[in-house]
Amino acid sequence: MDIYHYLSSDFTSILITLKLAIVTCFFLALIGTPLAYFLAFKSKKTKPFIETIVTLPLVLPPTVIGFYLIMFFSPETLLGKTFILLTGEQLIFSFYGLVLASIIYSLPFWVQPLQASFEKIGRDTIKTSHSLGAGPLDTFLNVIIPLCKKGFFTSFIISFAHTLGEFGIVLMVGGGIHGKTKVIAISIYDHVEQLSFGKAHILAGGMLILSFIILLTLFYFNKRTVVRIK
Amino acid sequence: MSNLSVFLKGKIGNLFLNFEHHFKSDGITILCGPNGSGKTTIISALGGFINNLETKIFFNGIALHEIDKHPPNKSPFGIMFQNPILFEHLSVEENLDFAIKRNQLKTQDKSLISKEYLINQLELNSLLKRSPENLSGGEKLRVVLARTILKQPNYLLLDEPMSDLDIRYKSKLLVFLKDFNKKFKIPILYITHSIDEISQIGDQIVLIKNGKKIDSGSVSNILNRSSFVDLTGKFESSSILEGIVSRHDQNLHMTTLDLNGQKLFVPGLPGNLNDIVRVRIRSRDILLSSSRIKTQITENELQGIISSIEIENNTAFSELVIVLKNLKNNRKKQKLRARITTYNLKNCKLLINDNVFIYISSVSIDRQAYQSK
Repeated sequence: MDIYHYLSSDFTSILITLKLAIVTCFFLALIGTPLAYFLAFKSKKTKPFIETIVTLPLVLPPTVIGFYLIMFFSPETLLGKTFILLTGEQLIFSFYGLVLASIIYSLPFWVQPLQASFEKIGRDTIKTSHSLGAGPLDTFLNVIIPLCKKGFFTSFIISFAHTLGEFGIVLMVGGGIHGKTKVIAISIYDHVEQLSFGKAHILAGGMLILSFIILLTLFYFNKRTVVRIK
Repeated sequence: MSNLSVFLKGKIGNLFLNFEHHFKSDGITILCGPNGSGKTTIISALGGFINNLETKIFFNGIALHEIDKHPPNKSPFGIMFQNPILFEHLSVEENLDFAIKRNQLKTQDKSLISKEYLINQLELNSLLKRSPENLSGGEKLRVVLARTILKQPNYLLLDEPMSDLDIRYKSKLLVFLKDFNKKFKIPILYITHSIDEISQIGDQIVLIKNGKKIDSGSVSNILNRSSFVDLTGKFESSSILEGIVSRHDQNLHMTTLDLNGQKLFVPGLPGNLNDIVRVRIRSRDILLSSSRIKTQITENELQGIISSIEIENNTAFSELVIVLKNLKNNRKKQKLRARITTYNLKNCKLLINDNVFIYISSVSIDRQAYQSK
């Protein structure tokens, strides 16, 4: 019996998981980066409020977020209706529902390391750049991004790894539909429920090794970076 | 010629700023005041980095306070902040190029300050390929200064640039700034508390306290005024004298200055013959006597008339202002501030309008403070 047949149904889960992590990180870069910048430099009065909201997913049980997202994604809400109009399917139990949930769930993992990294370079660096004639975009591309390389790297790795390992929210919002919203974590759960420990072993072991390698890469290249999360 | 008027009003933290000044269009203007008096805020506001103040800044007729039209990256000022920053992802040379690249358009229509000139003057050659991370404080400062100047600014703003430097470095850099200012006609606004720095490079000085301008004028005038002494404390109190170089003794390395007929011997060989040289004499380094003492203990004996005596109530000291006699011509009389113990004052029976003999050791004359005009 070759391993491909043994795990055939799990390969789709693996692909879905990787796709989910990549797409989520892409959107996190678009949403989380300006948010981290805003928190590091712009906001004053609103900062504690926004920081609280961004950090909430860290402390809330996934089922709480999952529950509210189900409410929020339901076809009766504006978001749900718009999604059906645009795609013809429901947001809930769809891959993009998962993406949206993952973005919210992983947001603190993108924002916090990057915010810390922005704060470390400080306002004075930005002022210096402006005073030398570089505009805001020029400064962001040629000063902030290169100086915060490690911050971006950390944010990406941690968010990616974190999205790979999601379970609770993904199960509630996605429903674990095979070939659509079933990710590795849910596959493992299913295997254990069906007492197929062999398959569970392979997937769990694979996740363990992958996460280990990802984190090792991070800490190897970022020896001096302190990861602030948890 | 550039023309800069500044008006600032508003609250920043605990400070209520109400500052108005029309800056001279050439030379080096010193902005001096205690910590927290608003000096750095003024520079930040000039750079366009402060928007919660009532601000009016006119530079050559342009209303710079309209920040929408004049964002910080279009500012005509070259600013060196208090904690100068080099971009650590770039080498020293790339840091310099950062400023050059972004200011090329401007440089076509005016006398260009070249990178080579600055590398030469500030001795940056051996640093160019290095990373800013492992530069010493002094090296970093020179690079930041060069980068600021390579912006080709119309006005240079320097916020306590030398506060971390050792004295030898300092005087070299001060000489550079003075020369630079003269050669390129770029005015400089320079924040410092250091009397050394003020007397060496300052032309004009603006005193500020609790967000308000308390005095302004030329350095040689202000340094002898009580408004300045109030700011810096009595211990640092000092006077600036101006003399004409009448002789250089190449063997003993001494210079004779002519103070309207009186002679002052100073160490070193500043200026050329007939140049005007400024020296600083600390008030506490002056010895007074009501009668002439035949002595070789000090090199200098000057004559003057006591114009005021201030006996301090809770200290051991008295502060005297002495007008130096003009023995030769009738140029403006120079004043000297002396600080002696009240004990000494009483013993010598010094009174207002008395003739006094002033003894100063050449060693105590500030060697950094030469400035030829």
